[in-house]
Amino acid sequence: MLEFMTILIIKTLVAFTVSLLIVAYSTWIERKVLGHVQLRHGPTRVGFHGLMQPIADGIKGFFKEELVPDNADKPLFLIAPIISIFASVTLVVLIPFGDTVTIMGREITLYLTDLDVGMLLILGISTIGSYGGIIGGWSSGNKYGVIGGLRGTAQMISYELPLALAVIAVVMVSGSLSLIDIVNSQTGLWNIVKQPFAFVLFIICGLAELNRTPFDMPEAEAELACGFNVEYSSMKFALFFMAEYCHMFVFSALVTTLFLGGWHGPFVDGPHWFFLKTFMMIFFCVWERSTFPRLRYDQVMSFGWKILLPCGLINILLTGLWMLVFNI
Amino acid sequence: MELVFLLICGGMAVISSLLVIFARSTLHSALWMVLSFFMVAIIYVLLHAEFLAMLQVIVYAGAIMMFVVYAIMMLNLRQERDAKVSVRVSKVVGVAALVVLFLELLLVGLGHSLTAMQGPITDSLVATHGRVAVISNFLFADYLLPFEVVSILLTAGVVGAVVLAKRVK
Repeated sequence: MLEFMTILIIKTLVAFTVSLLIVAYSTWIERKVLGHVQLRHGPTRVGFHGLMQPIADGIKGFFKEELVPDNADKPLFLIAPIISIFASVTLVVLIPFGDTVTIMGREITLYLTDLDVGMLLILGISTIGSYGGIIGGWSSGNKYGVIGGLRGTAQMISYELPLALAVIAVVMVSGSLSLIDIVNSQTGLWNIVKQPFAFVLFIICGLAELNRTPFDMPEAEAELACGFNVEYSSMKFALFFMAEYCHMFVFSALVTTLFLGGWHGPFVDGPHWFFLKTFMMIFFCVWERSTFPRLRYDQVMSFGWKILLPCGLINILLTGLWMLVFNI
Repeated sequence: MELVFLLICGGMAVISSLLVIFARSTLHSALWMVLSFFMVAIIYVLLHAEFLAMLQVIVYAGAIMMFVVYAIMMLNLRQERDAKVSVRVSKVVGVAALVVLFLELLLVGLGHSLTAMQGPITDSLVATHGRVAVISNFLFADYLLPFEVVSILLTAGVVGAVVLAKRVK
C-alpha cells in the first residue's frame, strides 16, 4: 500500500512538472515561431535565445500590481481564473504518456489513471473550464468583457457538438472510451488513416474550443480590446494565460492519442513518440495562428452549425455503414 | 471515507440548490445550479455510476447550463427585477408543495426499508465487460424501443420549439 502510494505520488509530481514545463515553454515556442514567421526575432534578451523568458514572465506576473475594478462582481471575478486553470490542469491526469516501463524491477505505467469513461471526462471537464472565461468576462463589469464572454458561450455551444461527434467516430472505430484502449487499438494502423474526416473535424473544433486565431472571438484584440480578460492584471491574467496554453497542450496530446497512435511509432514504441507528435501539434497550433486571419463572428456561427455539424453526423453514418458492411 | 465524501458533496448540493433560489442576481443562481449539478455528479461517482456522472457533467452542467448562462447574458438580466407574481399566492403554493413533498418523503421512508433495488447491472457483469459496454448493451438491445421513443419525443420537442419561436416573429 505504502509502495503503491509512493509510486503514485511520484508519478503525479513528475507528470505535472513535465506538463507545466511544457506549458511554460509552449509560450516561448509561440512567441519565437510567431516572431520568425513575421521576420522578427521574438524574445532574445533573457537567456540563450530568450529561453528564460517564461520564468521571467512568471516572476513579473507575481510582482505586478493587482487591480479589481470597482463595479466588478468581486467573488466571481476572483474565482474565474481559478476555474480556468483548475479544469485545464486536471485534464493532464488523463493523458496517456506511454505504456508500461520497468524501473528498478517494478512495472510502472506511464499514465496516471485508466478510466473506462476517460474520453467523456475530458469533454466534461473542458466544458466546466470554459465557464472560467465566461464568468471572468461577465464579472469584470466591462462591456468588452461581457461581449467576449457572450461570444465565448455561443462558440462553446456551437463547437462542442461537432467535437463530440468527431470523438464518437473514433470511439466507434476503437470500441472503447478509455484513452489507453484507444491508443492500443491503433497498433499498426493509426486512426488518422481510418478516420481522416474526423481528424480534420476534431482539429477545427478543437481550435475553436481553444479560442485560437481563426476562432478567437472571445478575445478579438481589434474588436474587443482583449475580450473577457480585459480587466485582469498580474497573476490573475497569467492564470488565464497558463490555462489557455495548458489547454493547448492537452488538445495536442489528445490529437496524438486519438488520431496519431499515441506512443506507437516506427522502431521503438515509447513516450518519445508521444512527445514528438505532441510538439508537432503545438507547432501546428502556432503555425496556423500566424497564417489564418480572424473570421467574422457570424461566419464562425454559421460555419459551426451549417457545415461542421452535418459533416460530423454524415461521418458517423458512413462509419456505421462501413463497419456494418465490412463486419468489423 | 466514502461517507465523508457523500456528506460533503450532498451537503454542498443541498446548500447550492438553496442558493439557486435565494441568490439575488440571476447569473449567480445559474452558477449555483452548475455547482449543484456538479456535486450530484460526484455523488454518482461515489455510487460507482461513472458513466451517468459524466453524462450529468456534460449534458446538465455543461450544455444546458451553458445555454441558460448564454440566455441570461444575452438578455442582460444584471439587475434583479421586482417579481411580478403576487407574493402571497406564491407563498401559499410554495408551502403547500413543501408539505406535500415532505409527506411523500415521509411515506416512502417509513413504508419501506431504504435499500437499493437490485437492477440487471451487477458487479460481476461490470467487472468482465466494463461499465460502458454493459450499459450500452442494455440500452441498445433490451431497451431499444423505449430509447427510440424518447429520441423521437425529444426531436419533436426541438421541432416544436423552432415552430413556436418562428411564430413570434
